[in-house]
Amino acid sequence: MLGACGSSSSSTTTTAISRPSISKEPGKLSILEWGGYEADGTKAQVDGLKAGKDYTAKFGGGGITYTYIINDDQALEKATSSGPFDIMHPCHENLPDYVSRGLVQPWDTKLLSSFDQLNPFLVQKGQIDGKQYMIPWDWGYGSLLYRTDKIDAADATGWELAWNPKYSGKISLWNGGSTDFEIAALKLGYPKMDQLTSSQLQNAKNTLQTQKPLNKFYWGSEYGQMQPAFKSGTIWITYSWQDALVSMRAAGLPVAYLDPSQGRLSWLCGFMLGAHTNEYYHAHDYVESFINHDACAQMTNLFYYGTSNDTVKPSEIQNKTLVTALDLGNPRAIAASDVHLQSWSPNRSQVDLAWQEVLAS
Amino acid sequence: MKLVGRFGTLSLNLYFWLFVAFLFAPLVVLVIFSMNNSMTPTLPLSGFTTKWFHQAFSNGELTGAVVRSAAIALTTAVFATALGIMASIGLMALRGRALTFAIAALLLPLVVPYISLAVGLLILLQTFGAGPSLTAVVLGHAVITLPFAILVLLPRLRSLDPAMNEAALDLGASAFGAFRLITLPLIVPALVSSGIICFVTSFDEFAIASFLAPSGQPTYPIFLYASARTPALLPDVIAIGAIVIAASLLLVVIAEAGRRWAERRLVGAGAAVQSALAEASVPLIAHR
Amino acid sequence: MPRERRRWLRFGRGAFVLPPLLLIVVLVLVPIVFIALYSVGLRTNIPGQPTPFSLADWKDFLFGGGGAFRGRFVYSMEITLFVSVVTTLAAYPLAYFLSFVARRHRYALLLLLLAPFFTSYLLRVIAWQIILNNNGVVNSVLWSLHLRPRGNAVSWLIYSNFSVALVLFYTWVPFVALPIFVVLENMDHRLTEAASDLGASRTATFMKVTLPLSLPGVVAGFVFVLIPTTGEFIAPLFVGGPNNQLFGNSIQAFFSDSPDWNYGSVLALTLIVVVLLLMLVFGRFLSTDLRAGPRGNP
Repeated sequence: MLGACGSSSSSTTTTAISRPSISKEPGKLSILEWGGYEADGTKAQVDGLKAGKDYTAKFGGGGITYTYIINDDQALEKATSSGPFDIMHPCHENLPDYVSRGLVQPWDTKLLSSFDQLNPFLVQKGQIDGKQYMIPWDWGYGSLLYRTDKIDAADATGWELAWNPKYSGKISLWNGGSTDFEIAALKLGYPKMDQLTSSQLQNAKNTLQTQKPLNKFYWGSEYGQMQPAFKSGTIWITYSWQDALVSMRAAGLPVAYLDPSQGRLSWLCGFMLGAHTNEYYHAHDYVESFINHDACAQMTNLFYYGTSNDTVKPSEIQNKTLVTALDLGNPRAIAASDVHLQSWSPNRSQVDLAWQEVLAS
Repeated sequence: MKLVGRFGTLSLNLYFWLFVAFLFAPLVVLVIFSMNNSMTPTLPLSGFTTKWFHQAFSNGELTGAVVRSAAIALTTAVFATALGIMASIGLMALRGRALTFAIAALLLPLVVPYISLAVGLLILLQTFGAGPSLTAVVLGHAVITLPFAILVLLPRLRSLDPAMNEAALDLGASAFGAFRLITLPLIVPALVSSGIICFVTSFDEFAIASFLAPSGQPTYPIFLYASARTPALLPDVIAIGAIVIAASLLLVVIAEAGRRWAERRLVGAGAAVQSALAEASVPLIAHR
Repeated sequence: MPRERRRWLRFGRGAFVLPPLLLIVVLVLVPIVFIALYSVGLRTNIPGQPTPFSLADWKDFLFGGGGAFRGRFVYSMEITLFVSVVTTLAAYPLAYFLSFVARRHRYALLLLLLAPFFTSYLLRVIAWQIILNNNGVVNSVLWSLHLRPRGNAVSWLIYSNFSVALVLFYTWVPFVALPIFVVLENMDHRLTEAASDLGASRTATFMKVTLPLSLPGVVAGFVFVLIPTTGEFIAPLFVGGPNNQLFGNSIQAFFSDSPDWNYGSVLALTLIVVVLLLMLVFGRFLSTDLRAGPRGNP
């Protein structure tokens, strides 16, 4: 499996690939990652994820360095300017930008023994020109998490809940850049949240500026800022992914995950391989340790995110209610008509600038 | 007539000492909570403990960041002081417009906001295809501490009697030999001052380090920023912070006592007091 | 020593200034030039993006849709000015105390005043965060004294204009006291003696003699706090809320959170220019006698 020197799937790159074998690689992975996704066996992993165990058992956890990102725009910036990284974990709407900036190279899927177990729909979403740039791993939703004991049920109808002055000072939206513009677009009723015209962008910016004073703060780190504040009752409404629903319920809080009239956001994220990595084979081993059956099953039971590994059956997931509610057995759910899959935006730099303006206002 | 009457004396005393208490209060708070047996720094206190120190010292990332910062600061101090001596020697020999231009250029980093300089250096690195590195951090710190080194060393060099140096040259010493044997020993206190100021500035510098340091190798200020909003890491941060503060204050006392002793021996008590004032004015601009 | 040799020695020694100058040119001037190039679109950090000259970002910031950044700039200058004035006012009595009351121990007390500034600035800011926080020292004291119900924190203490201004004030007062102190020390005391000999009260002597003579030091102190605070961004990171971020924070955000640097360069260059302008206007009040010749030549 590791024998092939060079990979036929990347034959369109100009350099003749002659890679050192795995034993000759330095063995120091530099990974651009979301907090909470660190491999089991590294000192940084404190949130309970067990994925990566196979890798750290073989190579140890000491050689892995994580650089944290708080949103995908920051991730793209860091990947462009603070790199190079061996592995990056962005979400799929950024795929074209990573490729066009020359930051990534395709994976050799033959080196990933669990690759064939991955859901074909998600796998296809990670391809550009037939090359596998992203190995899909996690998918899920974005919506507002709110305290059912503090929020009137009548107010919890849609994204406009975050604009409700009744709860001023108790709201926290994500410092999520383009995501917040998608939320604004949905709230304003624009059909194509990732393809805003300039006047739509302007309106979205204005509405975000009116929402800003209602926030206690914009959260950047889920575990460092959002969850502690929600747990302590400092905030009652927050943008979150579904893992916070699970964590807050476990902390004993009465919460619900809003199903907005305009529809939730959905997302798909996965691993990308650095274009200039010296850790080609280590990187493949690392990703394999994340996409195998056991790792994926444990991840879903922990965060209640969907997994790309089709061999993980709904019966293996503990909370059956959530499985049904979130349709975790069906990856195609992210592209369903009642949710909005976060996708590539052609005017991303304008959206980024507009977000900086919202932050500055 | 005394310029300040009894009421004035009383109120100024009160104001001054209250202000000193205000200045030292945050430092005292840190020291107190470093020994407080609770995860969160809140009152009432929960009893004495030294466990945070044990925990902090076994926090590899934290101690690594401190050591890394110290190494960078030491390199910066040596490098900037050496360049500062060179610059000072050069400036002493210049006149007129060349002198004005050289001084303006060498003191330029004092008027460039650190955040702008930091992003400028980041752009510079990017342009030459270099990634973040600790060497880049040292270079960035050296360039911002160079003016301080010059502000300390130049007046000291100027205050030396050139006759001694000339005598050495007349007696056959080389220029470098005269410098090494005559000038250098006389400016040791200034060298130490410059070294300390450059070290302290570099150790605590955040803007440039945050942009130029590689991801897995944070400096101490970067680590502080990353952990300041993480409640779990706060006790460690406070513990090491208390030690850093105690060490800094001790350093100030030792440096000042040592410098006064050296000055008195070399120059005489009067001038010692004068140059104490001149050198105390340098840290003015040091904290940006 | 023969004059020829002296001149050559001076020329040789003058050349010593070149390596440090080179460092400054490469590490300060060149980056500023690059910032300028980025601000007009001639360079980019995005591989493969075209780089035509464009003033669009400048126009947007100065006149167009970049109102949020202009607003933040104005807000920053307001806080800077406020802090500078308050700091200078608070520093004057300290300097006066040292020079006229403390007499014998004034240098030791000056050192006492300056000592905290040799400790880490970041640690002091974090300490203030601990003091002002929602369950920090101030609030828990209020709760313990039953002045507020437990759990009810004073909201404006932290992540507010107050906390940012307080931290900046705390940082700069001793430094501002220093030039005032120096001027008071160097003041010719015969003038105040003359005033009192002529029958002036203590207050009148202060108002008409001491204060005017100390003004250069006061202005110097004001400048000492004004210029660095213009570029301040660290305090808001720790004790500032979303509405208390300063102009420097916008620059930082652009270069760490946003994938394109051109707009951020506009802001960075603006800050450099503003500080330079302030220096040009106020710099004459900062006297450094670095241009003095060798000993004996003022």
